[in-house]
Amino acid sequence: MDRKKYGISGFFQRIAQPFINFYKRFMDGSIGTKMSHFIMGAGNIYHGQIIKGLIYFLIQVGYVVFMVTCPKVNNTPLGYKAFINFVTLGTQEGDIFTPADNSMLMLLFGVVTFGITLMYLFAYNSSIKSSYKADKDLKNYGKVTTFRHDLKEMFGNRFYIAMLTPATLGAVVFTLLPTLFMILIAFTNFDKERQAGLKLFDWVGLDNFTTFFTNPSGEIAARFLPVLGWTLIWAFFATFLNYYGGILLALLINKKGLKGKVIFRAIFVLTIAIPQFISLLAMRNLIGEYGPLQSFLIKVGIMSEPMSFLANAPNVWIARITIILINLWVGIPYSMLLASGAIMNIPESLYEAARIDGASKFTILRKITMPYIVFITTPYLISSFIGNITSFNIIYLLTGGMPKVTGGYIAGGTDLLVTWLYKLTIDEQQYNLGAVIGILTFLLTSTVTLITYRRSKSYKEEDAFQ
Amino acid sequence: MRRIKSFRSLALLLAICMIMALFAGCAKKANPLTIWVGVESVDFYTAKMAEYVENYKAKTGEDFPYEIAVQGVDTGSAASKVLDDIDAGADIFTIAHDNLPKLTAGASAIAPVRSQALLTQIKSDNPQAFLDVIDMNVQGTTYTFGIPYIAQSLILMYNTKYLTKDDVKTWEGIWAAAKKHNMQSVSLTGSDGFNNSFLVLAKNETTNRMPTVLYEDGITENCNFTSDEVVAIMQWGQRFFTGANGAKMPTDSGWEIELRDEISLGVITGAWKFNAAKAALGANLGIATLPSFTLTSEDVKGTNVKAGTVYRSGTFADCKVFVMKKGSDKADYLEDILLFLTSKEVQEQSFIECANLPAYKNAAKEFASMQTDNLETELAARQLDMFDYGIPQPFGTPTSQFYYYSKGAPDLIREILENKDGLFGTTEAIRTQLQKVENIWKTGERE
Repeated sequence: MDRKKYGISGFFQRIAQPFINFYKRFMDGSIGTKMSHFIMGAGNIYHGQIIKGLIYFLIQVGYVVFMVTCPKVNNTPLGYKAFINFVTLGTQEGDIFTPADNSMLMLLFGVVTFGITLMYLFAYNSSIKSSYKADKDLKNYGKVTTFRHDLKEMFGNRFYIAMLTPATLGAVVFTLLPTLFMILIAFTNFDKERQAGLKLFDWVGLDNFTTFFTNPSGEIAARFLPVLGWTLIWAFFATFLNYYGGILLALLINKKGLKGKVIFRAIFVLTIAIPQFISLLAMRNLIGEYGPLQSFLIKVGIMSEPMSFLANAPNVWIARITIILINLWVGIPYSMLLASGAIMNIPESLYEAARIDGASKFTILRKITMPYIVFITTPYLISSFIGNITSFNIIYLLTGGMPKVTGGYIAGGTDLLVTWLYKLTIDEQQYNLGAVIGILTFLLTSTVTLITYRRSKSYKEEDAFQ
Repeated sequence: MRRIKSFRSLALLLAICMIMALFAGCAKKANPLTIWVGVESVDFYTAKMAEYVENYKAKTGEDFPYEIAVQGVDTGSAASKVLDDIDAGADIFTIAHDNLPKLTAGASAIAPVRSQALLTQIKSDNPQAFLDVIDMNVQGTTYTFGIPYIAQSLILMYNTKYLTKDDVKTWEGIWAAAKKHNMQSVSLTGSDGFNNSFLVLAKNETTNRMPTVLYEDGITENCNFTSDEVVAIMQWGQRFFTGANGAKMPTDSGWEIELRDEISLGVITGAWKFNAAKAALGANLGIATLPSFTLTSEDVKGTNVKAGTVYRSGTFADCKVFVMKKGSDKADYLEDILLFLTSKEVQEQSFIECANLPAYKNAAKEFASMQTDNLETELAARQLDMFDYGIPQPFGTPTSQFYYYSKGAPDLIREILENKDGLFGTTEAIRTQLQKVENIWKTGERE
């Protein structure tokens, strides 16, 4: 292992390496390679690789035309002007007849132009490397590769690169750039007072974060910790109750000698087959004040008068516990199916060996069945926990985040970070604060995922159960 | 080897298809003149626009230069959609009038009306209350932005099996019937500012004055919600909501079930819930203006209001308006289209075909369709009656009415009405809470 790659010096070395290579190629390269530093594809053309050289050249021409002509989309320019606008976020205030600069589009186009420039730089570096490689090939083998050979190589040995390129580009365009855009909004004052295209918004540095953390009496900051607390409680119970409930059910269903296993499994799978929102709305009506369940309980004398268990519950914990219980109904079948799959794959020989050694049923469960299930389902457990942190449907459909709590500031008693974020951005247009919460949620989920997954046996002992 | 090759060819083909689809998706689309209307009215306005295009050809001898696309939107969220992406908005779209301030904040997202013919029609056809809320001040100059075409207000929908026309004249009459049948007097569809406006905007029957002052003359500071009259009204509301068989705050089951299962005698709502109420009560559905109520000595204690004072329940009497996107490349054609779509003839046809209450000021007298005797006409007539007891939702600054919701003003009012643990058992406690609401209206902050 190359030890130089680690530590602070290694870090700086990794950063400096491309520049060193760049300089080296310029100094050592042929005249064609030197020219490639200024005109993309010149080196390839110099070496007779005409088509390849022209492709690189066209990329450069396209980029230059894009940067210089600054094409407009919805009256907002891309190109070099997008970089200027990215800094200023617009200067034209606008009036009743002329539109104001659209700060949001300017921010977005700045990010897009930045992305296009990065891709261009990648192609630029690739052009130099290609020319330098042609230098080496000429020196070592006396000839350079042809375009046909390069194509054959691309769809042969380097096919994975050809296929990964569109996927990577897709991830950059549809995931990375929007994420970057969202992060940048957290550093602006983009809110309902400064709607895009009506009033300019501006960079405010870390103001949104400092407001959030240094003003504990501030309405949003004061609400953040309670919402975060409930989000974690919800994620914990929704994950582990479903998980162990599913395992328990799977153990019962897969018990030896049980008749009609398929029917039992099918019954529980039915809840997956029915769209979740239908199950949730049916459950909401079932337990509503005037739903069949309460009517029955009142009739048999268990309850004296109707009460709300969800959005209008007299106590927020009643609503929270009810949601967790209802979630069992829609969540357990998933983990039951996974656990069933794991149980059915446990080699019978392990059980036989354990029985011969005199292990009790409980010991077999503790030492063989559970470790096996846990090993197989740990990635599911982690993704389920993360999924529950960002669970939207259940809360939105059952309570809409209600019941109200004192000093709630939009957030109700059952609102999770994600439903609160929805209300803050969609209902209240507090985009900047929404972005701050989005970043914090991302940090939370990514940290939990990284730590738990890297510490899990599924990761450490990847080959153990093969 | 051959298998690997065919797999690679397939992967390549899929990648090419994906890229082609991307290009096709990004290709330039046709550019029709777009109109957003309420989902329930799409067919009606599509037919009307076909008629307009024919008229245009007859008048000018030329085809209308654009395709016209009438699309259905949720009118409550149309303004937000436009603000999310101004350029993606329709050339003409419909909004509730109280969205005008946020659309005209800063440099305005919508264009003012400049056609003299359209301005004249707006002035001659609409009640003063609507004219007061469609003009906005942008950077020091006042312009007309909205063209009213639908009106709406709160009314009472009730069960005629238990309530007579006399009963529904007063809340006391309804309450007495509720006690007799051991039911709840009335359900609410929600607990927001619109739903509690029957109390907040109640009007003194003797003085014909509303004790609540809310952005009077469009001035943000002109708000008063702490007068003795308001306190007394809140004490009456407290009694109504906490007393046996009184009014019912929203439940998880929903007002439709409460009405259908005869738990409540009626519901305070608007025309947009008419079909749901009809489904719940069928032939027993009755419609009435919101009742009046009389303060008792218990309600006026601690105030200078006299027992026996009668108030009529109030309402936000709102209108839906058409607006034009600023910078539309079809701007030259939009005002003529709006002149047609908001004409009284089209408004009457909209009433007949879609049960939309016209914004036209003399609709009740002039529209022949409103003289018939059926439930839809009753619905329209009672809403129009309520306009005498309501005000269009007013606003101070472009964002001040939003604070009313986000800072929880309706929740503060609900806390008074529910009076949990007797927290609001004194006039002082009520007044302190009302002061917070007033502060929110004025400054956006509770304190």
